[in-house]
Parts: sequence; C-alpha cells; structure tokens
Amino acid sequence: MTTNRIIPSLLLRDKRLVKGVRFADYRDAGAPVTTCRAHSAQGADEISVVDIDASRLSREPDFETLQAVSRDVQVPLTFSGGIDGVSRARRAMEYGADKIGINSTALERPALIEELAHVFGAQAVVLGVDFVRRNGKILLYDHRSGKALETPGFAEWLRAATERGAGEIRLVAVDREGTREGLDTEAWQEARALTGVPIILEGGAGNLNQVAEAMKAGVDSVSLGTLLVFSDNNLLKVRRFLEGAGLPMRP
Amino acid sequence: MNVTIVDYGAGNLGSVHQAFWTAGAEPETTSNPEKIASAERIVLPGVGAAGAALEQIRSRGLDKAMDAARHKGTPILGICLGLQMMAEEIDEYGIHRGLGWMKGKVSRIPETASVHVPHMGWTRIETTERAGGLIGASDRDRHFYFCHSNRLHLDEGVAAATVSHGETFTVAVRFGNVFAVQFHPEKSQLAGQKLIKQFLAWSPQGA
Repeated sequence: MTTNRIIPSLLLRDKRLVKGVRFADYRDAGAPVTTCRAHSAQGADEISVVDIDASRLSREPDFETLQAVSRDVQVPLTFSGGIDGVSRARRAMEYGADKIGINSTALERPALIEELAHVFGAQAVVLGVDFVRRNGKILLYDHRSGKALETPGFAEWLRAATERGAGEIRLVAVDREGTREGLDTEAWQEARALTGVPIILEGGAGNLNQVAEAMKAGVDSVSLGTLLVFSDNNLLKVRRFLEGAGLPMRP
Repeated sequence: MNVTIVDYGAGNLGSVHQAFWTAGAEPETTSNPEKIASAERIVLPGVGAAGAALEQIRSRGLDKAMDAARHKGTPILGICLGLQMMAEEIDEYGIHRGLGWMKGKVSRIPETASVHVPHMGWTRIETTERAGGLIGASDRDRHFYFCHSNRLHLDEGVAAATVSHGETFTVAVRFGNVFAVQFHPEKSQLAGQKLIKQFLAWSPQGA
C-alpha cells in the first residue's frame, strides 16, 4: 500500500525561508538550502517550496534558489509561485522541480491547468487551494487581495480543476495557518468527496497528536510548517511518533 | 561512467541529472541524436504527457537514435513515462503509438472511492527474479516514490516488479539491455540511489 505522507511546507521570500500566521506577520525561518537538505536526509516524503511573492508582485519565480535547494533534495520537490505558463514550468523542471504548484495563476486563467497537464501530465500539476471559513462555510481565498472569494465556489473550483487536469490538491486552511489550533480535517473530508485526486492538508498543525488524529480520520497527506520550523521537532521524530501511533509510514 | 539523459522537452531533467551525479556518474542531458546513439548508458526520464513527449522524440529523431543504441547493447534505463513510452500503445488524452520495444499497452488506473488517481506517494513493490541485481532486497530498498495516472498491461513475461494500488500492475520491466521502472528512483532517497548505482554497474550481457 501507499504510505502516508508528511510534507514540509517551506515559504520563500527574498532568498530566505519565512513563516507567518494566517498569511501575515512573517518571521525568518532559516536558510533554504540547509533546511531542505536536512528535511530530505531525515526522510521527508516530499518537500514543497513556495515563492510567496512571485504572483503578488507579478515577477518571475526565484529559480536560482530552487536550483540551489534541489541539489541536496533526494525526495520529490514541488515548486510553486508565479508559474503562469508552460515556459516557466519547464524552467522550474530544469532547475530541479519534480511537480509544479499553481494557485492564483490558475484562478485567474483556469486553462493554465490544462496547458501544464498536456505537457507535463496531470500527475505533475499540484493545485494550491487556499480557503477560509465564513459561518462554517468554506470559501476560496485570494492571497493577493487578502479577500475571500464569492466565486468560484469551493466545490465548483475543485471539480472544475480536477476536470481540467489538476493531479493533486494542496488544501491550505488560511484561518489556521501558523496558529497551532489543529488541522481542519473536515475540510479535507469535504474535498475528498469532490475529487478523486490525492489531497494534501495544510494549516494549523501545532503538535504531533493533532497530526496523528487527522491521519486516523483518513487524512493521508499532511503538510507541516510551524511544527517543523518553530519547535524542537524534526522529521525523524515526527515519523517515529506517527509510526508509533500505528499509522502507515515508509521505513 | 558517462550517462546520457534524453531531453524531449518535458521531464524533471534537473532531478534526474542531479541523482546520477550524486551516484557518481557523469551525466549529460541532451536532445542530440548522435550523442544518444553513441552513449555509454542512456536514461529516458519521465514526467510528461505521453502524446507531447512521443511527438518530440520522433520529431527530433530520438526514437531512431535510441533504437540504434538498443540494438548494439547500450544499457538503457526508463523512468516513469520513459517506461510507458516503450509500450506499443498509450491511452492518455487520446491513443498514441508508443516506441513498441515491448508488447503491452498503457491505460489509466481505475479509480474507486478508496483508490485515488494519480497514484502518488511511497509504495512497496514486489519483485520477480528479473529484478535480480537491480533492485535491493530489504524493506527499505523496496519503497519507491510513485507519481502516475497510467499503468502498463504487459503482453509478454518481462515484468521485474509489481505494485498493488487497487489492482496489481507491472511497475518494472527488464528485457535485453533495457530496464525500466514506473517509480522515480531519482526521487526515492536511499532506495533510489541504490537502484541507480546498480543500473550503473549492470552489464546486460551477463543477464
């Protein structure tokens, strides 16, 4: 069987890693190359690196840092941020990405999903879906404007994106990001019912029990930020803990 | 050891190049047919849509170059889409004629409520005697990273490994001087490095 995945989520700004709370108040979180090297060596199942400013500032993604970190990463690397077409995606692949993450560029121009899937295959296209809850209801969130979106709706977008060729969904609970309040397992379940592709859940994991709880509730892939950055946890410890909780992790 | 990585305009070329370099080889990524035809060892990497990849391979004359290498015994490693393209036919966004190096067809993995497609993540493989000398024996050596929506249906007995994802299907083949895998050794950490080193040491004549 396929084992559960733990995926460090690393946010890139001005050649450094940063970590914030609810997409704001970013603090320095270390050097990209050494951090990625450690996560890879300690058995991350994948690594996600997001250039968080590229789309917002309409500039080219930081391919230089991507190339520098990929040299020491022996697990799959997803690179996101500012990928607006096949040519930037191809450059990302040449510079060491294995999968391409897209988010606001796809919301702006949904045909981008198809364009990438037809060149790189659906399995290489990871759609980032940022969401917030308003009166319990899940709404998409646009990180560029900092606002929840009325359209498209969450279900509509997930179905349409899968149909167009998104091969994986990275679901990020913006309200919980960096808060340590726990993962929004219910949002993952809701998404699970809408699409047949793998779904990664991110946002809110503050301790290992919360991760184990989410996994026991069926969430097979979890992305971790704060838990790995601002605590004494590392992936060896995380993996050992989850294995001890009876969850299927790779040896 | 010189290793020639075939560039057909898609594929995670950076990662494949890096993994072979880490394993101690001298990799070169190229779309030059002459370099491919005269290579010491060839890697046909994955990550791409079959139609676009095959079109690029044919329009650049890489199919003929690889055929020339294959017939003179050059060891060839196919990865992911690299394996799939060796089949006779691939059904992905339409039906495409493959390179036809082995008898078999490629089509989409059936999706169910509990079997998600793409098949994404680390899965343990089961090997056959054809994997001997190329894939390690320990539990850790057999967990590889997968990232694919389509799988191979073989019509000849060249399977070297299988995996169970809903149904059981072939994820490695070996015939003549060709070894190909559905998973990604270049991204499978220690297990992957081990496989790459074993491919670099492989002499198919003795197989």
